[in-house]
Amino acid sequence: MTSLLRYQFINYLRTYKYVPPFSIFILCLVINYTFVPNPILDSYSFTAIILFFLMGWFTITLFHAEDEEQKVITTLHAKSRKQYNLGIFIICGLIGLGLSCVSVIYPTLIGAFGEEPRFIHQLLGFLSHFSLSVLAIALSAIFTRELVKNNQNTWWGVLSILIVSVVIATLKESILQIKGLIWLFPPVHLSLEIMSSEDSIKTIPNNFYWQFAWIFIYASIVIALFFLLSNRKRK
Amino acid sequence: MNTIMEIQNISKQYRGKKILENATFSICANQIIALVGKNGSGKSTLLKIIAKLVDADSGSIVKHRQSLKIGYVPEVTPSHILFTPEEYLYHMGSIRGMTKKQLQQRINDLLELFHLQDARNIRIDNFSKGMKQKVMIMQAMLEDTDLLILDEPLSGLDPKAQSDLEETLSILNGRGLSIVLTCHETKLLQHLVDTVLVIQNNKVIQSDSTHKRNTSKNKLIFEISSEELLNNLLPILEIQQQSLLNNGCFEVITFIKAQDTDPVLLELLHKKASIKQLIPINEKEEQFYTHF
Repeated sequence: MTSLLRYQFINYLRTYKYVPPFSIFILCLVINYTFVPNPILDSYSFTAIILFFLMGWFTITLFHAEDEEQKVITTLHAKSRKQYNLGIFIICGLIGLGLSCVSVIYPTLIGAFGEEPRFIHQLLGFLSHFSLSVLAIALSAIFTRELVKNNQNTWWGVLSILIVSVVIATLKESILQIKGLIWLFPPVHLSLEIMSSEDSIKTIPNNFYWQFAWIFIYASIVIALFFLLSNRKRK
Repeated sequence: MNTIMEIQNISKQYRGKKILENATFSICANQIIALVGKNGSGKSTLLKIIAKLVDADSGSIVKHRQSLKIGYVPEVTPSHILFTPEEYLYHMGSIRGMTKKQLQQRINDLLELFHLQDARNIRIDNFSKGMKQKVMIMQAMLEDTDLLILDEPLSGLDPKAQSDLEETLSILNGRGLSIVLTCHETKLLQHLVDTVLVIQNNKVIQSDSTHKRNTSKNKLIFEISSEELLNNLLPILEIQQQSLLNNGCFEVITFIKAQDTDPVLLELLHKKASIKQLIPINEKEEQFYTHF
């Protein structure tokens, strides 16, 4: 598995497809923290949403880093399609993890907040970034060529699902019909709710943990669905 | 012949359309099988099923050797491989679980076999199509492959690259490798392939004649000036018919094995014989395969 991960990562680096989303990420981070002081949780919430969209970009480019024919060859050497896809999910997860850490540490290092962020802020900041990254990876994977043939459908599909996820989060109070079905939609709203807490928050309420846990569970279900559909496609 | 794999009653449908129906045949050690058929007849699907890239709807594939290693080369060569052949083969091999030491030796052997030592440090995306195809075969042979599956190996290659690849396949086969390939090239079918399987109406049909390089023959008609010279040729020629012409020369009709053609022609030219006609005796089959 390590060899597969190393190959997939090096191959991705050589494609340079990571350059646009990575540049946008750095740019957003720098611009967001140009003026100081900034509110802590609000700022983290903003960069988490940016990362949510950019992780969709990273995911698609990672899944499409190889030619279709080379993918067949690599899959054969890896001996299973599941192993091949798992490798890509792990790399996506590691990128999400790295960028989540950068998003939390960078503003702290440059003193971009009005007050010194406490551990609770950094923990919430990290969880909101990482949970949304994982969610974006799961949702975007469904629209990769592994399951969707047409490349145009891939990009429109990813963009739509990510936008809908965020829009649902903002509309759920105004559209009552959505309220009952809200748990069906990607739970971006849970992260936004948590991050709308005051910076003066002293302890993390138990339900916050459950809300983050649901985001990870939701993402895991979508990933499981991805593997199920991918296995079916082989037939 | 020693059977290494049996394909038994393989059937496959795609989007409700029947592609293969009860495909059955055996692959023997050191055998080269060509699958021929019209585009969309299911040749590539059958190869993918053998390579375990696609599942069959029904039927089974029985390996006669527990550790049978299969290498697969897809129809379309990947155009963007961002590694040198050495790096690429190293990555593919380590994904397979080969050790660094095993790989170093194997990669050197393969680069030598395929005459790519000088290109070992050039990125594959700068290679010609023929060179890329060689790298594709190399990746399929990283482990001691027993069965090589090639989907249209000569497609899109220029005549020189085709001939290079044909030679390479012949060498590999000489080393004991079995090969199953799809192709449309008559030349390859005549010179390299042992058995031709035709896919027609979703069924795999064994061709009327089993192609053997050793039994493929040419009909040769030549003229020679004296009976003495003709007698000198008897050890190398099996004369079918001879007739005395008005000019005092002899017209001779003979059949020679395809692989003996070049030396026999040279000998005839030495004896100042005049070659009138050289006809492949499987001309009808040639027309048949060109049809696909």
